[in-house]
Amino acid sequence: MTRLPWPALAATALIAVLAILAPWLGLPNPVTMDVPHRLAGPSAAHWLGQDEFGRDVLTRLIWGARVSLSVAVSAAALACLIGTALGITGGYLRGIAEILTLRSIDVLLCFPPLLLALLVVTLLGPGATTLIPVLALVYLPGFTRVAYAGVLTARSQDYVEAMRVLGAGSGRIMLRTILPNIGGPVLVQFSLAMAAAVVLESGLSFLGLGVVPPAPSWGLMIGAARATMAQAPLLLLWPCLALTLTVLVMNALCDGLRDAVDPHPTYRPAARRLLDAIAPGLLPTPKAVLDLAHLTVEIDTPAGPIHPVRDVSLQVFPGETLAIVGESGSGKSVTSLAITGLLPGAAHVTEGAAFLDGTDLLRLPEESLRKLRGDKIAMVFQDPGSSLNPVHRIGAQIAEAIRAHRPLSDKAARAEAIALLRRVGLPDPDSRARAYPHELSGGQRQRVMIAIAIANHPSLLIADEPTTALDVTIQAQILELLSDLKRERGLALLFITHALPVVAEIADRVAVMYAGEIVETGPTAEVFLAPHHPYTAALLRSAPDEEGPPPVGIPGIVPPPTALPPGCTFAPRCPRAIPECTAAPPALRSAGAGRLTRCIRWNA
Amino acid sequence: MWFLRRLGISVVLVWVAASVVFLAIHLVPGDPAELLLSQGGSAPDRAMVEELRDQLGLNRPLYVQYGQQMWRLLHFDLGRSMQDDSPVSEEILRRLPRTLELILAAGLMAVVIGIPGGTAAAMRRGSVFDRATSWLASLALAIPVFVVGTLIVMVFAQWLRWVPAGGFIAFAKDPVQHLILLAMPASAIGLGLSAVMFRMTRAAVLDVMLKDYVRTARAKGVKPGRILTRHVVRTALMPVITVLALYLGTLLGGTVLVEFVFNWPGLSGSLVSAVNARDYPQVVGIVLVISVLFVGLNLTVDIIYGLLDPRVRK
Repeated sequence: MTRLPWPALAATALIAVLAILAPWLGLPNPVTMDVPHRLAGPSAAHWLGQDEFGRDVLTRLIWGARVSLSVAVSAAALACLIGTALGITGGYLRGIAEILTLRSIDVLLCFPPLLLALLVVTLLGPGATTLIPVLALVYLPGFTRVAYAGVLTARSQDYVEAMRVLGAGSGRIMLRTILPNIGGPVLVQFSLAMAAAVVLESGLSFLGLGVVPPAPSWGLMIGAARATMAQAPLLLLWPCLALTLTVLVMNALCDGLRDAVDPHPTYRPAARRLLDAIAPGLLPTPKAVLDLAHLTVEIDTPAGPIHPVRDVSLQVFPGETLAIVGESGSGKSVTSLAITGLLPGAAHVTEGAAFLDGTDLLRLPEESLRKLRGDKIAMVFQDPGSSLNPVHRIGAQIAEAIRAHRPLSDKAARAEAIALLRRVGLPDPDSRARAYPHELSGGQRQRVMIAIAIANHPSLLIADEPTTALDVTIQAQILELLSDLKRERGLALLFITHALPVVAEIADRVAVMYAGEIVETGPTAEVFLAPHHPYTAALLRSAPDEEGPPPVGIPGIVPPPTALPPGCTFAPRCPRAIPECTAAPPALRSAGAGRLTRCIRWNA
Repeated sequence: MWFLRRLGISVVLVWVAASVVFLAIHLVPGDPAELLLSQGGSAPDRAMVEELRDQLGLNRPLYVQYGQQMWRLLHFDLGRSMQDDSPVSEEILRRLPRTLELILAAGLMAVVIGIPGGTAAAMRRGSVFDRATSWLASLALAIPVFVVGTLIVMVFAQWLRWVPAGGFIAFAKDPVQHLILLAMPASAIGLGLSAVMFRMTRAAVLDVMLKDYVRTARAKGVKPGRILTRHVVRTALMPVITVLALYLGTLLGGTVLVEFVFNWPGLSGSLVSAVNARDYPQVVGIVLVISVLFVGLNLTVDIIYGLLDPRVRK
């Protein structure tokens, strides 16, 4: 649980305390009439005036809260008790019990709630005692469903299985393990039912089908004040205000509880921080298509800022493939998203420059960057299943990429889209252009993504784990397609992956990332033959190889970005670490021609 | 295939609803006829009870009654009102269009205000506009519909005297007056519904903006306005439409309060008078018709869903 909604909780508690203490507050009797002073305005004895029978309005408001809340609490409690019990029983026992409890509750959902309430009131007659079962019935399905869903989640978890293996009886398992775990959602449902019950109770009372006069109820008070609204409009306003405020406070409580039970990340508005004026001090190498220098990315988290990418520099040359390799969480994807300006809202670049043909992408306004994206820089993402829009035909999605950058007619763009589909090897491109993404296989979808990427002849193609979601034979085909396109069009390929065999197959050069930093770069063959960083060596040993020795895992885990070790980030897992390694963060140092390493002992 | 299966489920649901309504009277402890006649605490007259039992067919075995009831329903025969002996279906047919008109007007208002408002708030997340509109939506959600209605009457009819306090005039008779009288109850319902639409749209748009395919669209260099209309809003609207339809469905019974406040002679209003008069055939008829509409509405939502999202049509 994160933070509880204290203000709403306090306000609800205040209303509840007023309602509970109503008889001891020294207020006039709520049903004592004083007909001579009917409709009298506010006075010292009657702060909010007197109603159409001369009764004290303030007293009736507070007693009204008492009636309203007691009906709402009882109804919500009854619905909660029965509904949760039904849901747990149905979810835990399955089979017949499941059908009996859940499906029979679903029948209640065939009727609009107020209608259901009216149907029951017809049968049982109006009155506060009828209201409780009526409202309980209306909110029963909510509890049953929440409890049922909670049990289905909980029963698949290890600890419930473990208890069952230990021989705990069904009943004990339900009470001891499942109940506390569905507590949060049920609590939310309880607050929702209470807020709704207050509204429904007042509505039914307003119609004369709820609380019976002379008992005080806000709904009744509003109904009665309608008749005298010309003479005493305030009489109408007070109960309206009381009711609205109560519901407002209870709704706020519901929202707050829901957020506390089911926390979702709240991003601060993505104000793109003005990059510091300090130039990276590097002139762009004229030859490189992409020259990334000293990139640092920051993400705001509730626990404070973290830096998933720190001081990353790399270059990609025309017709070259550079692979960034690393475990998940090493910062390789964040690097690529930063280059293209597609970082999610909470993340932003704090330092660095990314020159594409001489333009610094990181300092470009969004509109200029948009014009480059899909044109000079293109991206292929990991999961083609979710990266294509499910509701548009694939031909249209390719044509959209073309028309975003070139003033082509719809027809011409579609023709080009079909030509692109043919180029990426999709069978029967003319008819497949009219297919929806879900009608294609994973490999075919990735071919579509590649067609979108090459649509405007980019000079840099960033492929972020393009083959990870595909099976092995398809992987090989996609890699071949990418290599072909690279040769054919002379584009620079930045290939992001965690798989070393893929790197060996496709990359000219490799950059190894670990915990947000580059730890080693160099020509692929050389790095694979003689790694200079212990992490690279460990990574190579952990990769399966048919001829070589069996793979060896790397002990320990990647440090989380919230708790980076001092000094070398790999030191805690490094077999060759010496005390100096943990003293200060090592710098990237030259280690032979075209090679860099972040290990102080690379030649030791 | 997909469509036929959904239709089949709906037919079953209608049958279940009809059975529940039939059984409801028998589930209540005590003799239904006696219960219906015992008003004001005085014991009902034995002869009258017998007469009513006979009239409602309560003397026959339950399964016979059930069969007869279902047979009659198949022929759209809802029985006769106990108040004036007129056919229940006639009264329903006269009043139903008025309630539907009211719901549609409120729904239209909610769509026109809530969806553009929610989208705009999502696009300017965290801005003053976003916070102000979200706060207004919370307030609009907290005011019960009959409070809004009563306040509208007090301000516009009582103080400003711009409009009459309520009532109904046929469109054919006086279109302008008809629309004025429609606007008041419709906006009383529409206020809360707009807030619901606003919140749903805002949440859905924010959710869809984080999807991978929106990132793809941005990676393609598509203009922000086009991303919004083509990639975000279309997908985001699906849950919003579902919620709207479900709310419109609950309104089928939920216009009771507003019809009462504005004296709008709709279906729900006659339900209240039928409840008050313990006019059982009338109550059953209205509840049943509304349930059928409710189920039909859910079916429509599923069909719209299928049209918007090709994946559903499997």
